Amino acid sequence: MSERIGGADERSDPLLEVEDLETHFPITRGFLRREVGRVRAVDGVSFRIDRGETFGLVGESGSGKTTTALSALRLEEPTGGEIRFDGESVTDLSGADLRAFRRRAQLIVQDPNDAFNPRMTVGEAVAEPLALHGMNDAERRRRIVADLLERVGLAADDADRYPHEFSGGEKQRIAIARALVLNPDLIVADEPTSALDGRVQSDVLALLDDVRREFDVAVLFISHDIDVVRQFCDRLAVMYLGEIVERGPTAEVLNDPAHPYTRVLLGSVPSLDPSDRELARPLTDSVPEPSDPPAGCRFHPRCPDVIAPADVDLEPDLWRTVAAFRFSVRTGELPPEIDAARGTEDPEPGIDETTVREAFDLPGELPDDRAEEGVAAAAEAIARGDLDAATDTLAEAFPTVCGRESPADGDRHERQVRCHRYDSAVEATPRSSSRTLETDG
Amino acid sequence: MSDTDNTHRFERVDWEEIDRSGRSLSSTRATVAVSLLAFAALYTLETAGIVSLGWHLERIDWVILLGLVVLGSLVGVPAVRRPEVTRRIISRLVSRPIHAAAAGFLAALSLVGIFGSLILGSPELSFAHRLHAPYGFASQAGWHAECLGEIHQGEGITRYCEGSLSYPLGTNHRGHPMGYLLVEGARITLYVLVFTAAFIVPLASTVGVVAGFRGGRIDDFLTSYIDVQLCVPAIVAFFIGYMYWNASLLLLLVMFGLLSWGGIARLVRSETLQRREDGHVLVARSLGASPVYIAKRHIVPNITNTLVPAIFHLLALLVLVEAGVAFLGFHDIELYSWGSTIQEGLDPPVTGVGLRMAAHEIWWVSTLPAVALTLTLASLKLVGDGLRDALDPRQNT
Repeated sequence: MSERIGGADERSDPLLEVEDLETHFPITRGFLRREVGRVRAVDGVSFRIDRGETFGLVGESGSGKTTTALSALRLEEPTGGEIRFDGESVTDLSGADLRAFRRRAQLIVQDPNDAFNPRMTVGEAVAEPLALHGMNDAERRRRIVADLLERVGLAADDADRYPHEFSGGEKQRIAIARALVLNPDLIVADEPTSALDGRVQSDVLALLDDVRREFDVAVLFISHDIDVVRQFCDRLAVMYLGEIVERGPTAEVLNDPAHPYTRVLLGSVPSLDPSDRELARPLTDSVPEPSDPPAGCRFHPRCPDVIAPADVDLEPDLWRTVAAFRFSVRTGELPPEIDAARGTEDPEPGIDETTVREAFDLPGELPDDRAEEGVAAAAEAIARGDLDAATDTLAEAFPTVCGRESPADGDRHERQVRCHRYDSAVEATPRSSSRTLETDG
Repeated sequence: MSDTDNTHRFERVDWEEIDRSGRSLSSTRATVAVSLLAFAALYTLETAGIVSLGWHLERIDWVILLGLVVLGSLVGVPAVRRPEVTRRIISRLVSRPIHAAAAGFLAALSLVGIFGSLILGSPELSFAHRLHAPYGFASQAGWHAECLGEIHQGEGITRYCEGSLSYPLGTNHRGHPMGYLLVEGARITLYVLVFTAAFIVPLASTVGVVAGFRGGRIDDFLTSYIDVQLCVPAIVAFFIGYMYWNASLLLLLVMFGLLSWGGIARLVRSETLQRREDGHVLVARSLGASPVYIAKRHIVPNITNTLVPAIFHLLALLVLVEAGVAFLGFHDIELYSWGSTIQEGLDPPVTGVGLRMAAHEIWWVSTLPAVALTLTLASLKLVGDGLRDALDPRQNT
């Protein structure tokens, strides 16, 4: 791990370099397909993968990691940015160069059950890349396939069987064989083990690790499972709503997560160590729509470390309660007792300021005058049933920098973190995590 | 990379070399191109009168001949190229006796349809021998001028003419042997089957796959077109054509064929929509496979579970429609469809003093083609189901 940020020139040329990748999908309506919006599946993602390296892309479902991978393979048309494979722009490739790229970069898909054409024998499926790239000698194809099947732990005779005769783990082994058959330089593995159970999962991972070392293949490994990435990857990037929020060597990022979202992700993994419960929890569980991402930092509506306005002086815990209140009101996710009352046409809905405060765990009176004023006005508006007014009041009372400006990539140790707390232009200190720093360097 | 790491890699492949050799014309495409060229040459030479085939071919015959060429390239050539797959499918198809019997019937029907009229030729009309009963049965002796079998006395003055081996299946009111009429009907049925299978089914599948695979505006356009087309009743279109042109089998096939594929296209489209996101399709795309390759190898083979029975249902439907239209009398008078023969047997157009007969007295004229039609329809359904099972490797029989 000789990675050094800001010293790109010192390194050898990367195998895959993704710069400011944007893949937006238009949302269209009507027969004329007028564009009414865009899903920003991938919105400005940059990373690089060196030869023989494993790079993990982690995030919840819907964070855009699969779209990033498919764009890198040119299976989705990127709407912006640059992808370079071995120094050449992937989007400009054509003819023999494109065919060469198609041979050098291979894909392993998530679900082993639909990874294979049910009407093709396993031998045909593994030989398909060879045949597609013009190897007409059936005997030679058969020889290569038999060799490969044995290398991934199956028998050469299995070539004549159909995919449904194999278990999920065996199918994923065959998928690895198919990905290797063209001697690629890069394998994109999209959650290759998420459909498998524990022991099979680690067997398949071990196999992938073996072949990676043996054949010196770089792997772009996509997963929502932090533990799998910890086992398998040299470096990783954490994605949230189409952006990379933190990126760096695996051990460092996972032992000392800098970005609040990384801490939330780590917190979502059940742990036997009770001290891990210290890790952050998100303010709300609902992920915003990628078609309408929040302004400013995309994580700020759920961020437990959202930065308080400079002129509001509250205890961190209390501020977090207020922030949660503010964002629940904005997304309309009210606690059940208030939501139920809102639904009725009853002129005396039975909610007033006090019940609102109780429902949101807010104290009767806040120590900060300005804050108290805003919260009181908003609670009163909610009691009236006017959610829009409450949203506006709160936005005015608590103007956080996180909701206003997009953070730039900040540096911390040897990695990049996209959070205002690491941005030198913003006066906020990084919150220290409960885990101690255990770098291996 | 040096040669030293050969031991770690499996066989080294020089892709530059393979790439340079280029994509030569595959044997399949060559065969198809040659047979299409041969067909075109034959058609030109024959219509120009330079070459004579020895018998006259109508336009419909040419269309069906072209259909046979298309079917040969779509089904025949792949079946010959991969004999082990063909053998497996056929052995699975005939593994159940009922499917084997149905497939055997259809095979016999095809052989009779193609070669029957070539061998039997067109017998002379002999009104003198009309309404002979099949061998082993008897008809009234007064119906025909000459009785070829033995005559025996019935009740009162009625005398009966035994069926003879000259007409083992009997004759109709014009003295046409029933065997000849059945063979002619088989030929017409085969025409319907070939036309549908060679032109309508590929059209429907192509439209369905394109709409489902491409999506977007093309999908919108094609699905709206199919919806409009499904609203046009084929029989009305046929009668409009009937008013202006002569009734012909080709008109019937074109009208009913071109207006009846919407259902299959819709089916194929929805199946394609489900299949196109599958992992193996994505992997094939990542390998640089062309859309045509993906449709041919990854989509169509995987939708046979719904497509094959639907195709055979359409085949049966069009056979029945042809028989029905002929039964109503709107057919080419020179073509002896099973439908028109059934109608003649049920309502014999026989004139003459004292000639009266009920339909059941000449039962063989209507019953034999009706049995042939029923067997054909049943066989089509059975073979459709059998083929579906035979094509699916997950079905263990």
